[in-house]
Amino acid sequence: MKRTIFNGQLLPWLLLAPQLAVTLVFFIWPAFQAIRQSFLREDAFGINSQFVGMANFRALLDSAQYLNSLKVTAVFAVSVTVLSMGVALILAVAVDRMLKSQRPYTTLLVWPYAVAPAVAGILWYFIFNPTVGILPFMLDIIGYDWNHNTDKGDAMILVVIASAWKQISYNFLFFVAGLQAIPASLREAAAIDGAGPVRRFFDITFPLLSPTTFFLLVVNIVYAMFETFAVIDSTTEGGPAQATNIMVYKVYFDGFIGQNMGSSAAQSVVLMLIVISLTVIQFRYVEKRVEY
Amino acid sequence: MASITLDNVGKVYPGDTRAVGDVNIEIADGEFIVLVGPSGCGKSTLLRMVAGLESITDGEIHIGERVVNQIEPADRDIAMVFQNYALYPHMSVRQNLAYGLKNRGTPKAEIERRVNDAAEILQIGQYLDRKPRALSGGQRQRVAMGRAIVREPAAFLFDEPLSNLDAKLRVTMRLEIKQLQKRLRTTSIYVTHDQLEAMTLADRLVVLNGGRVEQIGTPLELYRRPASTFVAGFIGSPAMNLIPSRAVPNLPGTAHADTIGIRPEDLSVTEDGPIEMNVSAVEELGAQRLIHGQTGGEAITITYPSDAPLAETLRLGFDRKNLHLFDSKSGARIDKAR
Repeated sequence: MKRTIFNGQLLPWLLLAPQLAVTLVFFIWPAFQAIRQSFLREDAFGINSQFVGMANFRALLDSAQYLNSLKVTAVFAVSVTVLSMGVALILAVAVDRMLKSQRPYTTLLVWPYAVAPAVAGILWYFIFNPTVGILPFMLDIIGYDWNHNTDKGDAMILVVIASAWKQISYNFLFFVAGLQAIPASLREAAAIDGAGPVRRFFDITFPLLSPTTFFLLVVNIVYAMFETFAVIDSTTEGGPAQATNIMVYKVYFDGFIGQNMGSSAAQSVVLMLIVISLTVIQFRYVEKRVEY
Repeated sequence: MASITLDNVGKVYPGDTRAVGDVNIEIADGEFIVLVGPSGCGKSTLLRMVAGLESITDGEIHIGERVVNQIEPADRDIAMVFQNYALYPHMSVRQNLAYGLKNRGTPKAEIERRVNDAAEILQIGQYLDRKPRALSGGQRQRVAMGRAIVREPAAFLFDEPLSNLDAKLRVTMRLEIKQLQKRLRTTSIYVTHDQLEAMTLADRLVVLNGGRVEQIGTPLELYRRPASTFVAGFIGSPAMNLIPSRAVPNLPGTAHADTIGIRPEDLSVTEDGPIEMNVSAVEELGAQRLIHGQTGGEAITITYPSDAPLAETLRLGFDRKNLHLFDSKSGARIDKAR
């Protein structure tokens, strides 16, 4: 790489300034605000605030609603990750086996990624709408009464499908690239070694995909925990009865609807810690350890 | 062990691209056959058809008593060594060797015995618990061969197995492959583009060009009596001189041929030789030199002892029996009767 030597300090700082400004204003400053607020108790108008130490965090751990939200988030994140990665892998393997028309299929399968999360939410909301949706109509025929407005399980299934659907494209692209990086001769050698297609997949292809799989695992968990806000907001709004109130939605709800800034900030800090640990896992373990 | 017969075998890819056509080869049990030709001549395709990795569009391939056209690679009782070795990178050497046996339900003790036997033959015993990435190119090559021999198959198929090795190692491994094959007496088909590798390894050579067989024979048969200008130019190093007869008029006994072939090592410098050569370049090889030049406007090369005196113009002679006569249109040898 070409190295440029600057004379003096001014120019390099000027060149860095835009990026630093964006980072400071939109990332570092809000993060510090959240940390500061998590130790304060404020009135709803932000006029008076009072330092309360760890009280906000203690209140969270005593709150049945918050513990429920943790559980809901775990179920939701695991379901979204498993569903989106599982379907993506099946599609990728299918496309990888095709000789012709790989490209058009790949292109078509990437489309959902371009759909905004809120739109995806609305889309599935209508498909699953108990009154006008097509799926409840069909489920009714086989005798299942779908209603995500009243049934907790139905609501969870709805937000999981809506969230996973969007992420399948992304996972699919990575899996296709990962599959194409595996030399064909390995699978041919395994075929000569007497392994059928299923066995070849589990003995050869899947282990060799593990770097891709681990990378996507972290990306998908992060996605499910933090980027699905719009899906929840446009469909269930955390309901019914807190059944889909994942942590990031609860931060918004408690802070902006409930106006409980201290608690909302404390929840943000907890989320921040989760992101930091996921990032550490990503860098420490995934990028270094998963090799063969 | 088994014989292998290719009966009018051909391969046409979708879109009417013909890769291989009308190939007839009978390979005896225990024979070492080398398929040789320039890149794109269909030799690898042909090997992959025997392996079952490519479908056979014309003709039949027999391994032993069976027609294997519709039989899966796993059930053809063959083992293949790939150009890039195709070792499973996430498995240890031991697991690599055992994988094919495990898939076939071989008892554990038997797998253990065969893996250890193969490791001993190939001297890879101390690497059994390493991963392939921790091995050198030559060691990987041995593991790839080990994976073939543990299976004790009816035939070995080698797809340019030495082309990723450096020149010195290639010569060593070449000899080892030859010795191994002689010892195991397993029918082998070996693909290479390197004519020297082909000559040294083969019991019989199959020279392919444009998807068709040019000539089949022992290395010496092909060297002494190439059936076409293609084989003449391909087998032997340095390559045979192929000179239009108009460039060397009045050579005795060349009346009906319009292309004359003579190997550089069969030309000698004599004062009254019938060919006059203008020297343009000299390559030192140590024991001898390669001298390049022109005769009648056509390129000609001779080998020449390095201590012999050089001149700008040399007169060349040869023994009549070392002359090869070809028809330039078909490329075919025309002095077949002799």
